[in-house]
Amino acid sequence: MNDRTTTAPPVLDVRDVTVRFAGLTALDAVSLTVEPGTVHAVIGPNGAGKSTCFNVLSGLCRPAAGAVTLGGTELTRLAPHRIAALGVARTFQNIVTTHGTVADNLMLGRHALTRAGFAATALRLPGAVREQREHLARAREIAELTGLGAHFDSPVALLSYGDRKRVELARALCLEPRVLLLDEPVAGMNAAERARTAEVVGELRTELGLSIVLVEHDMGLVMRLADDVTVLDFGRSIAHGTPDEVRRDPEVLRAYLGTDTRGEDAA
Amino acid sequence: MVCLAVALCLPPFYLDAFWLRIGLFAMAAAIGAVGLALLTGTAGQLSLGHAFFLATGAYGYTWLAGEPGPGLPPALAALLAVLLAGAAGGLFSPVAGRVKGIYLGIATLALVFLGHHVLLTADSVTGGFNGRSVPPFTLGGFTFGAGDPELTVLGVPFGAEERLWFLGLALFAFTWFTARGLLRGRPGRALAALRDSETAAAVMGVDVARHRSAAFVVSSMYAGLAGVLLALSFRRVVPDYFSLVLSVDYLAMIVIGGLGSVAGATAGAVFVTALPLLMTRYADQLPLVAAPGSADGSVGPTEAARYLYGAAIVLVLLYAPDGLHGLARRARDRIRRRRPRAPATDPALSPPQPAATARSKEHTP
Repeated sequence: MNDRTTTAPPVLDVRDVTVRFAGLTALDAVSLTVEPGTVHAVIGPNGAGKSTCFNVLSGLCRPAAGAVTLGGTELTRLAPHRIAALGVARTFQNIVTTHGTVADNLMLGRHALTRAGFAATALRLPGAVREQREHLARAREIAELTGLGAHFDSPVALLSYGDRKRVELARALCLEPRVLLLDEPVAGMNAAERARTAEVVGELRTELGLSIVLVEHDMGLVMRLADDVTVLDFGRSIAHGTPDEVRRDPEVLRAYLGTDTRGEDAA
Repeated sequence: MVCLAVALCLPPFYLDAFWLRIGLFAMAAAIGAVGLALLTGTAGQLSLGHAFFLATGAYGYTWLAGEPGPGLPPALAALLAVLLAGAAGGLFSPVAGRVKGIYLGIATLALVFLGHHVLLTADSVTGGFNGRSVPPFTLGGFTFGAGDPELTVLGVPFGAEERLWFLGLALFAFTWFTARGLLRGRPGRALAALRDSETAAAVMGVDVARHRSAAFVVSSMYAGLAGVLLALSFRRVVPDYFSLVLSVDYLAMIVIGGLGSVAGATAGAVFVTALPLLMTRYADQLPLVAAPGSADGSVGPTEAARYLYGAAIVLVLLYAPDGLHGLARRARDRIRRRRPRAPATDPALSPPQPAATARSKEHTP
């Protein structure tokens, strides 16, 4: 069922992607490469184009120029559901769960992996029933993995904020993704919840070998988890490197802290 | 569940044809309403074209089984009529797959007017303004009509209504079985996700356009099935029945019943169907309602029923936006919550152990 994760994920390559919204250039020739099995953080101030970048990766937004490829497949021309079928899963910055229980949401996450159609489901043919049962078992495993086991049959609306954030993460994992896009997975969480989510993300990389692209404002989390960091500012990629390199980069300091005296000296 | 099934089999032995006919109309309406609930309640797509698909089923059966027409065996004609309604929905799928929500509602308006026009003008198939009589349903030599063969069960003569009751019950049970399976399975989850967030659904791998069209086709097929049963119960199909008002009636059913639930759609269908008929029957006993046919300017029973269910819709929207289904669920929750507080009552009345554990499980956060 999860044969995808046993092979190394392909390289996710973003080449010179440009996105314009009615005159505003949201992304300006941005390039980045996510090596298999690494955590690649995309950081930047508000409005830097991080979420737009995710929307391009998941097919919700067509770039005006540039290309995104996963292994040998070009993603830029594909509809979102085709990209999902290739094993690219994402979470959203604002929680987007559907009505119903945690189980319903996680089973929705397995949509791309399941086949039962309208007729088979309506008539409850044995194949559809068996498929549902098998995938429900796997969804329960993933709920346990992400610390949602106790809430598996609870309506999502009754869960705490942190738990609903985790439902999104679990739902993305239910796709058995090869590439996982996390849009601010710990935003709005308290310290304990952050630590728990960070732990889960760390485990995902080491145990499942996923490639993870992470958009996050929490620098502590980024520095701890990321192998590579790309910094965006006003739609442009202003720095790239390991967390330590990026932390010392004068352009990054300028973008985050405003014009810095040392920066002026250097200029 | 078994008790309910048995209870539903009893009416033909105790009630006269008037009540059975109300039951038949309600069952037909419930089948159609379940289809609309799937489209509007679950997938969030508004349709005002339900009357068109009901008409497709009703006229499709009448023509396919009748004379003039191919005169097919009625069971085959019924099946084909349902498929025909589905195909009609499929033809509309380029629109149904792309247009969403209230915009689809406006687009489907066209279908009702188009359908009504065709029903009036295509005389050779539809019988024009006066409609056609519906050939009775037969299955393996058994006629679901009066006589042929004469049948008396437990001392009750089985006429058309008694026989159709069981046919209706079977079709209704089939509708419940399939619709609940759909809602709890993969397609139902995908449709609910489309309603709640199209982007999230797409990113989860749901093919948005395909699922929207499929929901429309499935909804049309239920409407077609409802149309067949309606035609059989009326024994005559006339174009004026399948007007925009009928589509609005079905929307009223699913709103009153509670959007997106099979039980709710059924309850709403029973309410909206039975109310006018009951009011007509008991008009003379109701205050402020004139007897049917009197022309002294007072409120007739049909109008009174319209007022009453107009008021019911307003009340539901104000006080129970989740409809009868939501009301029932909240009442059930309240009873459950009250029970554990009064454990000193008769032990026979206290809930059995498995139910108690299920309840406590539900309330742990």
